[in-house]
Order: sequence, then structure tokens, then C-alpha cells
Amino acid sequence: MSETLRLETQGITKTYGHLHALNDASFDLRVGEVHALLGHNGAGKSTLVKILSGVVHPDAGSVRIDGEEVSPRNPRHAQDLGVALVDQELSLVPVLTVEENLRLGSRRAVSSADLRTLLDTLGLEHVKLTTLTGSLPIGEQQLVEIARALSRDAKIIILDEPTATLSEPEIERVFAAVRRLAAQGKSVIYVSHRLGEVLTLCQRATVFRDGKVVGTKNVADLDRAGIVEMMLGHLPEFRTGSEVRTPETPQHISIRGLAIPPRVPTFDLEVRGGVIVGLAGQVGCGASEVLRALAGLVPNSRGDVELGGVKLSLGSAVKSRAAGVFFSPSDRKEEGLFLTHSIVDNLVATRLPRVSRGGFIQKSMQEAVVSKLLGLTGIARERRELDVGVLSGGNQQKVLVARGIDQTDSKVLLFDEPARGVDVGGRADIHDLIRGAAEQGNVVIFHSTDLDEVFDLADVIVTMFAGRLVSVRTRAEATPAGVLTDMTHGEGEVSA
Amino acid sequence: MSAQARMKPRFSANEQKWPIFLMIGLVILTFAIPPLFHHSSSAFTIYNALQNTATLGLVALGLGLTMVVGEFDLSIAGTYALGGMVAVKLGTGNPLVGILAGVGVCVVFGLIQGLIIAKLKINSMALTLGGYLVALGLTGTIGDNKSQSFSNYDIGIALNQPIATLFSIRIFIGIAVFLAVFLLMNLTNLGRGMRATGGGRRASRTAGVRVDAIVIGTFGASAGLAALGGIIQAYCTATATSNPGLFPLIFAVTACLLGGVGLAGGRGGAFGIACGALTIALLAELFSTVAAPQYVSGLFTGLLLIVVTTAASPYVIRKWRERRIDKSLKLENKVLVTSDSSSKS
Amino acid sequence: MSTVNDVIPSRFSIGGMSTGQKITILVTILFLAILIFATFTTTGFYSVQNFKAIINAASLVGIIAVGMTYIVISGNLFSLSVGTTAAVCALTFMWALRFGLVGGIVITIVFGAVVIGLQGLLVGFTGANPIIVTIAAGALQEAVAIWISGGVSVYPPDNGPSFAFLASPLFGIPFPVYVFVAAVILGEIFIKKSRFGRGLYLMGESPRAGRTAGLPITRLTTGAFVVAGVCAAIAGILIGAFNQSGTMTASGTLTVDSISAVLVGGTAVIGGRGSVVRTAIGAIVIASISDLLLLRGYSTPVQLLVLGVIVTVVVILSYLNSERAGRS
Repeated sequence: MSETLRLETQGITKTYGHLHALNDASFDLRVGEVHALLGHNGAGKSTLVKILSGVVHPDAGSVRIDGEEVSPRNPRHAQDLGVALVDQELSLVPVLTVEENLRLGSRRAVSSADLRTLLDTLGLEHVKLTTLTGSLPIGEQQLVEIARALSRDAKIIILDEPTATLSEPEIERVFAAVRRLAAQGKSVIYVSHRLGEVLTLCQRATVFRDGKVVGTKNVADLDRAGIVEMMLGHLPEFRTGSEVRTPETPQHISIRGLAIPPRVPTFDLEVRGGVIVGLAGQVGCGASEVLRALAGLVPNSRGDVELGGVKLSLGSAVKSRAAGVFFSPSDRKEEGLFLTHSIVDNLVATRLPRVSRGGFIQKSMQEAVVSKLLGLTGIARERRELDVGVLSGGNQQKVLVARGIDQTDSKVLLFDEPARGVDVGGRADIHDLIRGAAEQGNVVIFHSTDLDEVFDLADVIVTMFAGRLVSVRTRAEATPAGVLTDMTHGEGEVSA
Repeated sequence: MSAQARMKPRFSANEQKWPIFLMIGLVILTFAIPPLFHHSSSAFTIYNALQNTATLGLVALGLGLTMVVGEFDLSIAGTYALGGMVAVKLGTGNPLVGILAGVGVCVVFGLIQGLIIAKLKINSMALTLGGYLVALGLTGTIGDNKSQSFSNYDIGIALNQPIATLFSIRIFIGIAVFLAVFLLMNLTNLGRGMRATGGGRRASRTAGVRVDAIVIGTFGASAGLAALGGIIQAYCTATATSNPGLFPLIFAVTACLLGGVGLAGGRGGAFGIACGALTIALLAELFSTVAAPQYVSGLFTGLLLIVVTTAASPYVIRKWRERRIDKSLKLENKVLVTSDSSSKS
Repeated sequence: MSTVNDVIPSRFSIGGMSTGQKITILVTILFLAILIFATFTTTGFYSVQNFKAIINAASLVGIIAVGMTYIVISGNLFSLSVGTTAAVCALTFMWALRFGLVGGIVITIVFGAVVIGLQGLLVGFTGANPIIVTIAAGALQEAVAIWISGGVSVYPPDNGPSFAFLASPLFGIPFPVYVFVAAVILGEIFIKKSRFGRGLYLMGESPRAGRTAGLPITRLTTGAFVVAGVCAAIAGILIGAFNQSGTMTASGTLTVDSISAVLVGGTAVIGGRGSVVRTAIGAIVIASISDLLLLRGYSTPVQLLVLGVIVTVVVILSYLNSERAGRS
């Protein structure tokens, strides 16, 4: 190979317990190259990124930068080695000025004029160094973070899904910046779910699946279908033919013109009870926001939402709950469960009115609800008084999902990533719980970034991309390749 | 750290501008309102306000610094009293010894609080409530549960002696302290580190800011500043009180919130706090000029604090931000349209 | 099997107890040892007379602390002006006696509930800082009280109803003690058994999760403050009855004492855990310590100092025990 290698990893392995997060991964990066890392959630690309940026240490394998063997100890050491990570989540301090953020924690002396030039090269000519970072649009903040990575004089820049939360004009600016970097001889690792971007921007792509590197190819030799095939590998066994649920009194929801600034411009959907709708899309596609808005958790959302002909007023979680909407959030530790309260307390937290009479909790009513739910979830009765915080992730998730089902007053059940961080067996149990709820006539809408889960659970698959609804298909019509294509680049995609 | 890496003072972005307008507005009111009640303000009114700002203003400055780093030091009302008492007890022979002892004791006190808060990640309001009681208890124990008079009257007279009608040594000390903190925060990396710590602790830590050291140091500074305010007050009135009540705290919180220091952290600085403190001091003078009964001033103080606290609440801030996002979205669309057309031409 | 151990947090592996819990037990034992030793070496501690004094002192603070417990459990830290409200309520009661005894009591309780409830409404609806709001409200109440009363004591109307029984012993035990016991029992049942109480505990543990679960945050917060207001008003009535007049100086150290009682009882300062019965124990401990120090001839400031140290230690222990301690 004639090109010089900037970075080379060989046989990197990282295990968490019995799980191989990364198994014998080898990969190389050339000077002046933009190199895509592709794969499903949990395929191993994030682990590789974490190892390169010093967050995680590999169990085995070697990393070479410019031919020299290194092992990044911590993020600061990685910085010194010339590796800069621009994280998916912004790590800027919003109340500091742009200049202050660029300098934050830096040990290099850079003049203000140099910083100015740096911003200019990233297309931020109009952004003053004295502007408060928090007042910039998210896309420009992302560019400022890229600028910070550059000001540390990095040779290798890792962009982890930099466009997930950006609008199209902002994505263009990131692209232009990345191209300029490559032209200057920097090497860029570009992690993305968006195939269109990869085809437009990158020279080579490495595809991960189940912790292994499937292969590295020149992007010029690839098309979308080819990448999708590499990412999917052998097709998983999906349920075929959907059992038709015909509940006696199906609920009905109609969503018209739901706008959630700044992420979702407009969203329309009609769902009948008994049907499970899966919103398929990657991080930042807007599906999560749609569910949260329906649950009344986004104060400035607008639109016409009707439940069985009754208008739902948005923006109040209490009103949504009273109208029969139940929401199960994706982050069970931070906003889902009450970790230092018992399983019982957590299970009845969303139905306090139902287990009480005259303002007081009735033991017998609580008992009836709890024993039924414990039976459904398969959690042992003896554990009911344990704090939820001590349960395994799978059982915690079961409690969270169970909290939403079997409500006599429920009409719409919303689940954001219902099986996040749960093993296969736990996932099957959780899916059974949700199917049972649909059978009772509830409208069920869930969001997942995981294709397998979407195909396993949904009767109707709705794909979303960059805040817009792309397609609606029944599971019978849908193919994994088709859904993956829709959720990774959408129709209104930037062409360049 | 080379000189290049340092920041030029960029005061406009670091601090809000409205505190100064608020203060100027109050100066105007101080002269405009009393005639309506057949009273009048004079240069002496301003002098009085400055005198108060020079002592209670330092307490506000101390509290404000903890608010900038995203914490809250309730114990300043205690260290204010403790500093004054220690200085009065030990400073009879040499007032400077009193100042050093008073400030020293309180700085150590503050550092200990800061250490506990930073290392154990304790809610600072809860911990400093305990600190407040301890400081107050110590003050009362040292002062035998009553006010202690300071026999060195000369120092008080010297400190209060008007200079050029509007000023005094006491006021100059106040200005010097505010100026020192202002310069320290704007000419070194310290201010940036403090605001980063308050505005995004996790992000700051990842970026390599020494977050814990900053929190600990800030609590030391806040206790020291409150003590200095208490000492000057004690010297000037030749008495140290055993229990000043919550008034210094109320003054300080209101001054900080009026001065643009948010409760969420990361915002504000010495200049805004000075403006906020002067604003309240002027307000108090305004009430005393029109000879309003004591309770009117109390009524106003309480109402003002409720209003500014509500204005600094998450709900109001969110509403305000939503309006700004809507505006900036519209603006952004406009910019895009114009840049498109310009690139075509 | 190693993976199973990985999942279990360390606090459950050390003999079923975390370091925080061990320290807590150690400190508690040490503290009780000092307390018991002190009681035996202090002349006059073990006497019926002294026990009555302790339980009487604990009663007034305890009644206010019952209400404070609701605020702390709801996750809103504490109120720094319940003592002021109690004093204002004593004034109100003296004035309202002109509407008869029942009228006076009802008016005072409603007044206290509204004054503190409004603060709760503001805190719950806007998320404003509860400590600053209550400090401001305290200053406001003081000013209004002085404005209306003219800064002098308020005495009951000359031909008003008799309220002497509120301050006199019943079967040899001071009346406030009965009220205290009743407040603790009712307060405990209400927070443990009612839907409202369950909501408070959940919200106190995690307001975010509470909102997502559809709990009425504003209503719960206001409710917690209303309970505190009712308790402060009841204490105010008893204080007024005891002094046979109402003055603002009656607030004294009631606020800090009641906060201390809640914290010393072991209710978590960050909310979500604790109980009214624990607070009652805390109130008695606080009263005993004050009594001990008084008997041994220590002045009020020393009592304050000791209180401060105890509060600080308890707050630190409460964090060492907290599951959420590590979270930023």
C-alpha cells in the first residue's frame, strides 16, 4: 500500500463480563483520509472510539500512531497523542464565550488571532469569539467543538455522529469542514448511521457487526444496498405473519401537525388500538421527541392530537396522564424509576388514583394490582419490597414497562426504547408484556433504534429521519433493508 | 501560562449589562422621589449608600462567587458576625492583627466547608446551614452572647472620615476589594474556570479544569470576604454584634440576583454584584430619606427578593429561552435566505 | 459468576452494609453514649420536673417539625421562616379570638396554611429556590406584622373567650404535649397511607421521574407547604396561649430547631426518605441536648454551636448513605 498509515489497530479485544464488545478488531487509517465506521447499535464501533480516545482500555491488541505503539491512558493523554474526540453529546459549557470554551482546559498557548482563523476555516466567520456559546444554534456549537479539537493540534479527529442533531444547512457546514481537514492532511474517523453521508463524504468504510470487523471497503466500490447488506449480515429470523388483534373496544389516536421545535417540524399519524406501531429511526430522528410531546413532557410543542375524538392538550404531563396517555422513558435511571423505592411503590407510581379511595392508598387494591403485574413480569413475589435500584437492568426495565400496562384507564401507551440494555430473554418478556397491552385495545407506539426490535414487535413500521416521517409500512410489506435504508438516509436527504 | 494564553477582559460577554442601568436608575430615583414627599437627597445620601456597600457589599461578593461556581453559601451571615467578633476581641491593640485573625479564622472555616461540599458532593445549602449555626454559635460563645464594644474608636473615625464628600477610606477599601476580584476573574484563567465550573461541571472536568480546587477555594474566599465586611462594619461602629440576624444574607442574595448572578451558576461577576449591592443600598437610603417607617423598607426588601428569585426560577428562565429560540429560528431562516442569494450573485 | 458480582454495587457486598451505614451506626452509638453519660453526670436531669420541661420544649418545636418533615421529604430542602410564621400566627390568634375560640383557631390555621402554602405554590410552579423564597417570605411577614401591630404585643380582647386550657396541664401533662402526640400520629399516618404522601415520597426521590410518571408536582409541593403552614399555625396558637399575648420575638430559634429535629431524626436532606416519627424522636433529642447544656450552665450560643455541629454531621452522614451521592 502506497499511502502512509496514520493509525493502525490490531487485534483489539474488549469484553464486558461474558460479552465481547469488540473481538479481534483490526483497522487502519490513512493520512488525509475520511474513514467511516458503520454498524448497528452495539456493533462495536463506539467501543473502538472509546479505546482510541482513552476512555476505555482494551483487554488485548495494539494501537499504533504514525508507526509508534501507544496506549491512551485517559482523555487528556489521548489529546497529547494527537487524538481528539468530538463527542455525540456536546461537552461545551453554554455560559462561557466561544473563546473561553476553545481555551477551556487547554495547556497550549494559542493567540486569539489563531482561534479566529480557526473559526473562519470552519465557516464560522460570523460567530464572534465573545459570543456566549449557549446562544449559538446546536450545529454551530458542534462546529465550535470541532474547532476545539483542532486547536489542540490533533492529527486524528474522531467525529461520533456529529450530524445526529443537525439541520441540513448545518450538516453541509460540517461536511465542508471535514473535507478541508482531510485536504490539510488530518485523518478523520467518521461514525455515522447515515449511509448517504458516508457515501458523500468518506473514502473508505469499515463495517462492524456483533463486535467484529466485517470488512473495510473503498466507498467508491459501494452503494447503499451493498453497505446495508454488510451491516445486516445474515438476516435474523423474524416473526412472519402478524397475529391480527381485534380488541372489542379499540382506542384511537389521531396526530395532526404535531410540531416540536426545533427538532420536528411537523408530524402526522393515525393509529388504531390493538396495532403496535414502531417508530424506527436513529438517534436524533425525532421519534423520541414525538413520544415525549404526546406524554406532555415538551412544554412548547404544538399540534392537534385527538384521543377517540377528544382533544389532548399538550405540554402538561399531568393532563396527558389523566387523558389516558402513559409514557415509559428511555433513561430508566434518570427519569424512569424511583431507584430507592420498592418494586411495589414503583409499580403503582403511575396509578395512585386507582389504588386509593378517599385520598388514602388501599392495601387490598394495591395488592391486587401488584400481584397481577408481578405475575406478568415474572419477578418473584418475595422481592417485591426490594429497592428497584438493586435489580438487574433487565428486571428494572420490566418494572418500568409493567408500570405502563394493565391500566384500566389507559388509552395510549408510549415506550421509548422499551428494551434498552436488556438481554435477549428479557427482551422477549418485555415484548410479550407490550403485546398483551395492545390486545386490550390500547394504542401502542414505541420507538427503537434497533432494527431487530422493530421487526420483532411492530405491526406497523414507521421510519423517521431528521425529524421527518419517511415511510409507513406494515411488517408484511417491510424488508429490513428497506427500513434500514429509510432510517439511515431518508428522502429529503442532502445530495452533494 | 504564557501571556498570550490569557484572556483580555471581555466584560460584555461575561456579565449582564442591565445591573448598571438598574443602579443608574436608582441614583436618579434617589434624587427624584424624595421631593415628592417634601424631602431631599444630597451627596450625603450617596455617601451613605457607598458606606453600606463597602461592608454588606463584600458579603454579597462572597455569596456571589459561590453562586458563580454553582453553589450557595448560607453561612456568610455567620462568618460576617464571626469575623467581626474575632477582630474586635483580638484587634484592640493592633487593628491589623484583628483583621488578619478574623479573616484568617473565617477563610479556614470556609475552606473546610468547601472541602466537604466538593469531595462529598453535598448540596451546599444544606451543609452551609449547619455552618451558619456553627459560626453563629462560635460568635456568641466568643462574645459572651452580647454585643462587644471596641475600645479603639480612632480606627472607626479614620475609616468613616468623608473624603471628597462622597468617599472614605472604608469606601476605598470596598472599591479596592471589588476591583481586585474583578481583575482576578477577568485577567487570569480563574474567572473562566469558575464560570465553567458553575455552568457545566461535567464538561469542565472532562476539559481538564480543576473543579474541586475551584469550589474549595471559592468557599474560602466567600467566608473571607464576608468576614472582612463584618470586621469593617465592627470597626466603624466600634461594636461587634453576636447575632446580626438574616439581614446580611437577604441583602447579599438580593444584590447578587439583581447583579445578574444566576442561581444556576456560571453567570455574573464582581462588577454586577457591586451594581446590585449599590442598588439595594440606595433603595434603603431612599426609604430613610423620605423618613418611611422601618417596616416599609422590610416590606420592600421581602417583596423584591421574592420577585428576583421568581425571575431567576427555572420556569421563568425556560419561558424566556423558548422565546429566544423562536426568535433565533426566524432569524436563522432569514440569514440563510440572504446568504443563498448573495452566493448566487 | 464473576459477572453477577460485577453488577452488585459494593454497598451490598460488605456484610450487607455500606461504609456510609457503618459510619452512621458508629456516630449514632458514640453520640448516644455521650448523651447518656452526660445525663448521669448532670445533677437535676433525672427528675420528673425536668422531663416535663424537656417534653414541653420538644412539643412546640416538634409540632412545627412535623410540618417541616413534609417539606424535606418532598425534596424542597427546608423552609427558613416557619418560626416567623408561628409567631405571626400567635399574633393572629390573639386578634382572631374576638370571633370566639373556635373561630380564632380556625382563622389562624387557615391563615398559616395560606401564608406558607402560597410559598409552596411559587416554589412548585416556577421551581424557584425554596430556601430563598422562604427567607424572603419571612422578611415580608415580619414587616407586615410590625406594620399592622405597630410593633407592640397583641393581647386578647378583654371579654374574649377563655383559652387558658391550651396552656395548662391536663392530667399533669402540659396540653401542648397532647397536641404534639396527635400531630405526630396524624402526620405519620397521613404521609404513609395517603395518596398525597406516597406522591411526596416519590417526588422527593426524583422530581424528574415524578413528572414523567404524571405526578402533579405543583400540587404536591403546595400541599407539603400547606401541611407545614397548618403545623406552624397550631404551634403559634399554643405559643400565644402560653404567653397570653402575641409578639414577633416569640419566633426565636423555632425555625432552626425544627430543621434540626427533622435532620437529626434521620430524614434525608435530599428528600424521598424519612418519617414523622423519626422527626418526633429528633425533636426530643434536640430538646434533651438543649436541656442538658442549660443544666450544665452553658449559654444559648453554645447550644447553637452544638446544634450546628450536629446538623453538619447529620447532613454529611445523610449523603454518605445516599444512593444518589455519586451522581452529579
